[in-house]
Amino acid sequence: MKIKFIQIVTLAFLAVFQVALAQQTVSGTVTDADGLPLPGATVVVKGTSTATSADFDGNYTIAAANGNVLVVSYVGYNAAEVTVNGATANVSLSSSTALDEVVVVGYGSLDKKSLVHAVETVDSEELEKIQATSITQALQGTVSGVTVLTTGGVPGADQTIRIRGIGSINASASPLIIVDGAIWAGGLNSIPQEQVESISVLKDASAAIYGSRGANGVIIVNTKKGKKNSKGTFTFSTNHGSQSEAVDIHKVLDTDTFSKYFFEAVTNNNQYVLGDSNADARAKAAASFVEDLGYNPYGTGSTSPIDSDGNLIGAPLWNTNWYNALVNQNPRRVDHNITYLGGSEKTNYFFGVNYLHQEGQVKTTWFDRFSLRSNIDTEVTDKFSMGLTMSFNNTVSNTPNQAGSGFSNVIQWIYTLPSYYPLYERNPDGSFVLDAAGNKVYDYGSRAGLVNGSRTILTDENAAGALDYYKFENNSYNFNASSYMNYKISDKLNFKTTLVYGRDSFDGFSYVHYLYGYASSVGGRVSQDRNIVTTVSSNQQFSYSDSFGKSSINIDAIYENYALKVSSVGAQGVGFLPNVTVLNGSTTPEGVSGAVSEERLESFITRLRYNYAEKYFFEGSYRRDGSTRFAKDVRWGDFFSLAGSWVVSNEDFFDVDGIDFLKLRYSYGEVGNNRGIGYFPYMQLFSTGWNNLENTGVLSQGVVDPMLSWEKTAISNLGLEFNLLDDKISGSLDYYTRESIDLIYDKPLAISTGNASITTNVGSIKNSGVELTLNANNVIDKENLKLDLGFNITTNENEITELTQEEFINGTKKWMVGKSLYHWFIREWAGVDPADGYGMWYKDILDAEGNPTGERETTKEYGEATRYYIDDKTSLPKYTGGFNANLTYKNFDFSTLVYFSLGSYQYDSEYAGLMGGFERNEQGHPDLARRWQKPGDITDVPLLLNASNDFNATSTRFLYKNDWARVKAITIGYNFSDEVNNKLKTESFRIFLQGDNLFTITGHDGIDPEQTLSGTTNARSSLMRTISLGLNIKL
Amino acid sequence: MKLNRIFLLITLSFFLFAGCEEGFLDNPAPTSSVSSSVVFSSKAGVESFISGIHRRARAQFTDTHNGGLYSMYYTRDVKANDILTKATWFLWDYDHTYRAPTYGRTKFSWEFPYYMINQANIGIKGLNESTGLAESEKNELMAQFLGLRGFYYFQLALEFNHHPTYDPTAKAPPIYTEPATDSKPMSTITELFTQIKKDLSDASTMASSSRINKTYLNKNVIEGFKARVHLYLREYAEAEASAAAARSGFSVVNSEYGDGFNDMSMSEVIWAMAQSTDQSNYYYIAPHVFSDHENGPYQGTFFNNDFVQLFSETDSRNTFYHYYSTNTSNWFAWVTSKFTFAFDSDMIMMRAPEMMLIEAEAKARQAKYTEATTLLETLQTTRDASAVSSGNTGQDLIDEIMVERRKELYCELGVEWFDAKRMRTGINRTGNHRVFLDLEPDDKRFILCIPQSEIDANEFIDDSINTARL
Repeated sequence: MKIKFIQIVTLAFLAVFQVALAQQTVSGTVTDADGLPLPGATVVVKGTSTATSADFDGNYTIAAANGNVLVVSYVGYNAAEVTVNGATANVSLSSSTALDEVVVVGYGSLDKKSLVHAVETVDSEELEKIQATSITQALQGTVSGVTVLTTGGVPGADQTIRIRGIGSINASASPLIIVDGAIWAGGLNSIPQEQVESISVLKDASAAIYGSRGANGVIIVNTKKGKKNSKGTFTFSTNHGSQSEAVDIHKVLDTDTFSKYFFEAVTNNNQYVLGDSNADARAKAAASFVEDLGYNPYGTGSTSPIDSDGNLIGAPLWNTNWYNALVNQNPRRVDHNITYLGGSEKTNYFFGVNYLHQEGQVKTTWFDRFSLRSNIDTEVTDKFSMGLTMSFNNTVSNTPNQAGSGFSNVIQWIYTLPSYYPLYERNPDGSFVLDAAGNKVYDYGSRAGLVNGSRTILTDENAAGALDYYKFENNSYNFNASSYMNYKISDKLNFKTTLVYGRDSFDGFSYVHYLYGYASSVGGRVSQDRNIVTTVSSNQQFSYSDSFGKSSINIDAIYENYALKVSSVGAQGVGFLPNVTVLNGSTTPEGVSGAVSEERLESFITRLRYNYAEKYFFEGSYRRDGSTRFAKDVRWGDFFSLAGSWVVSNEDFFDVDGIDFLKLRYSYGEVGNNRGIGYFPYMQLFSTGWNNLENTGVLSQGVVDPMLSWEKTAISNLGLEFNLLDDKISGSLDYYTRESIDLIYDKPLAISTGNASITTNVGSIKNSGVELTLNANNVIDKENLKLDLGFNITTNENEITELTQEEFINGTKKWMVGKSLYHWFIREWAGVDPADGYGMWYKDILDAEGNPTGERETTKEYGEATRYYIDDKTSLPKYTGGFNANLTYKNFDFSTLVYFSLGSYQYDSEYAGLMGGFERNEQGHPDLARRWQKPGDITDVPLLLNASNDFNATSTRFLYKNDWARVKAITIGYNFSDEVNNKLKTESFRIFLQGDNLFTITGHDGIDPEQTLSGTTNARSSLMRTISLGLNIKL
Repeated sequence: MKLNRIFLLITLSFFLFAGCEEGFLDNPAPTSSVSSSVVFSSKAGVESFISGIHRRARAQFTDTHNGGLYSMYYTRDVKANDILTKATWFLWDYDHTYRAPTYGRTKFSWEFPYYMINQANIGIKGLNESTGLAESEKNELMAQFLGLRGFYYFQLALEFNHHPTYDPTAKAPPIYTEPATDSKPMSTITELFTQIKKDLSDASTMASSSRINKTYLNKNVIEGFKARVHLYLREYAEAEASAAAARSGFSVVNSEYGDGFNDMSMSEVIWAMAQSTDQSNYYYIAPHVFSDHENGPYQGTFFNNDFVQLFSETDSRNTFYHYYSTNTSNWFAWVTSKFTFAFDSDMIMMRAPEMMLIEAEAKARQAKYTEATTLLETLQTTRDASAVSSGNTGQDLIDEIMVERRKELYCELGVEWFDAKRMRTGINRTGNHRVFLDLEPDDKRFILCIPQSEIDANEFIDDSINTARL
């Protein structure tokens, strides 16, 4: 004991002695390999307790003697040791593993090791692998837990994005989109992928820092910036692609088959519905054939081309292939980019310009984008820096109707109008009608005259004519500027002020022809709508960071406000001369409209981060938001998150072979949702605009809940991150739950109250699931051959945990506690009665009190049939995920990305329409060959019947299992050797062949498996398969 | 110095972007809607609400065959015998197959009247609570809300119930007399008609004879509603009085008959829904858009040869002609020129001749044959200069008036269907129909099922309500 005491005293004495005699002030800069400062790096004099941390510029000063060893460390970097020799000691740290990756999070960024949340990032390298007209396409299959659906084939259309399930019913369930720190009000299709540095997805309580708008997760897009002290690099890339449908669409009948089937359908009606004898039924069907259809493609005028035995007299004069007439056989995609980035000692810069032209499946569909961006940051003095991010984007598109049930929807048209009807006007004898100039004229099916003049369906329209004669041109101009000033008050305290201004101008124009189509009776129609969306937000942020011994702390205090204003005007006029397509030429104005809407948000945010010895990390955030979307008394909401992580592998006791890194983390937070509910959803108002001739008119809006407030979501996440086998395998495993309560919900009311629903805070939904990401790095690692593999899979369980009423039927779904939002609830098809060919459905047998006995029987009355949950089938997939591989061999590189979705069910209403069996005079599917034709036939296709029936009404007959996988991208590239580059004076030169959506494996033909969350189809145009050849040159 | 600059920067930032605006969150307010206090504080305010309701009734409610009051009327026309339609909109009504709980017709015929009833209830409540209006103003406005409510309850009674004499205790649509969010149980047809008669009678007491234009309800229109209700209920003395009151001040100028039934300024028009180019329902207006084969896109409406044969050559109502075929055995042989389609076509909802015929029939059914004959012949000779008196009395006279109703009112308000329901006679298809079928008296196809969406959300109604209706 005594000895020990003496030792301690001696040591202390020595230490003091040392300090007193040899100590000097040593200073230096800690940087990374690229020379970028590492603020907050820890510098310790080895063997002592003397320590400091670097300031925002990576500068440090410490007292140390010559010969002392300084240990410099920084999260994500290999620690370095330098021996003091003089007053200066600059240190450059090399990054340790993938953990050096800096991850963009809300209001800042973090190195991956310090991350306590489930945040995933897609960087520019991964973005390059696909051709993403809208950048969020890159998230599908690459980020676990994120559902991305491309609905339809309109080029540049925004995706449906859901993070970790569906957390809202009536309010928006989409994530919040932040671009360069500000809420993005425009479409994401205006941002070219080449200008994006990273896309971060905040999946868990990390979104709580966005408070009232973060409940559905947050996607943060950061655009590229140059690095200081780096050579300016000029990149030129170009990409030329050719496209076709990713999945072939349904087949349809030709004229002869249609004629025969139609004859049969009318005969069946005469015989089975109207009670004629078979002979009479046939004779009548033959006699009324031309009258029923209004046309005769067999050139026999009003004489029936079909006899009472159903034999056609000859070959048809036309057999219209509507598909060929309406679909672009070779749509192109062209993408050009120029970027320039780099930096001097004080300033870094990025400049980018993009031009994209993409055509769609439907003729005359195209999308053009022009985009310009520059990002500049500069250090004015040691303490004062500023920066500016500016972008201008213009998108122009012509988008004819290609979804929904409208007459001119091209896809609907192909599936509705039989090839029996001509593309061009025909005389009763079948010859072409020619105009004065001798040209063919599109047939609109609405001329006088019984034969070849007047259709019973889609009258006054011709989809090919609509493509030729109508215009639907949308112009969007998006301007964004964000500037900041940053002032370092002291080494520990920083202040940053940011102002962001965004302006989105939308100009929608449509022209419907003066002579042809649905506005011909009024001499054509021009509609023009202009919306100006202005957003202004400002942000004041104090940041304080400090360290004490092994502890380091970081505190942010932020005040933010946000204002949005939408100003719209619209005008519509009719009566145009030929070739006049501007409103000035209108003889009669048909309507004017205009409105201004505003929204504001005011927020106070604070966040604390603490880390002890890089083993224990803690983070807490709190945000208070006030929103104009709610009444004054319920306007303010409080949101928070708490999270911690434990880097087990940094513990001294942890020494497991093969485990290089192991982190456990947990987070919990409460976040809000106020989006997708209109601007003043709590006010009971009368809407204007219901004028009656010259008298002003107003109408009472639906009932409202004046105390409507936030939807709240409690999010928890338990995660594990690991690197194994010398970092050869890395990955993460997360279990999450998201429970949304006080849903903003359109509670249905009995329609006899005159209100269909009231929007109020009721109900709750829970989403839970597991996400697994595995990366195998350097599976093969030879000099000439390298292979990396990646895989991720996600499960999601969606469950309604509270509803106001026992159950609520919403279209093809029934919402009930314990079920998901997307469980199918429809009638169950019981097949075809072999006796009469009629379709059947199941119905419950009821007891005397009207309760189901559990037994069931079949019925031919659709209305009587019982709707069931169909074996717990849902439209949401049970498993989704992705697989990717990157291979380099010598100068070649190869990458592929596969997305898969398993366990969902889809209802194909297009196929249902085609299988209608000529209830109306519409097109049919070749599968009708399997129809019931005579008593005793055993089949699942009912008889053809030209009378109203329910055979193809919504039931399990058209519900299909929707397991699918898609090879989203395959890229093969060749990088020219250094020799070539030297000759060409290029830094790098790459040519590549890129294929998007090359293969799609589905269980049901005729429709793209990627439709909607609810699993319903809507006659949408197709997603495209693109094959392109590209070139990338760096100078 | 340095500290000052930092302080200045920070203060300026906050001042510029934050705290400077008093009530940052209080300022935004709706710009395209108004509050209830604005609506109910003046006569002009309430009138704008009434204008809005009338506009809604003639706009596009759901789809082309479920558009507004005009589509309810035309639906009734195509369900009977005089009129037929090709396979275009309304074809399922023509087939009598569009009536199951999940179908569009069923939902629309329920939802639309209830939508209008709720608006009327909001008006009634607002007026009762309003303090800024004179009693006379209040009455004039109240009459219009009550009139609308009674009228739309009557539409529900027609669509969802047989005649009360079939079963006076039959379950009928629920009755709401004030704005509600809580559902109510089914009423009985007797209760429903009590409500209808009370609303219309109260409205009649308060109504003014003046109005903004013919699209609004004044005493004439409300008496017209009453005349229809009383006729339906076989209350002939009341029907006679109301019909006379309704047509008071209106004359029949036959020269206007051929003008296309699309202009409410026609002398005989008592109530209309007017359109203008900038306030059009476009291709929704029935029957014009379907029956005008030369201007309309659908070419849907055709006529039964048997019906056409009822008209003399000199009758100005004989508007029928061959457009596609002269062979009268073809279902598409006859079309009409009665209605002209344009985006600004007005919809004629009530005319003086209808009231003359109600009055005549009511008189005849009360055995006042001479007076009835006088009225009938006044109309007949106005329409047809060479018309000769039939000399009918008794049941023959009544039958003649019933036929005259069809001849006068075809394609306007479903007169044949209405008469078959009130007299419980059934409908037999004859002549050159495209689809033949017979409706027995009180056939269930005279009524619609209760919509599934109501059953799903109304705690008092379950699937059994449709057992007898399906």
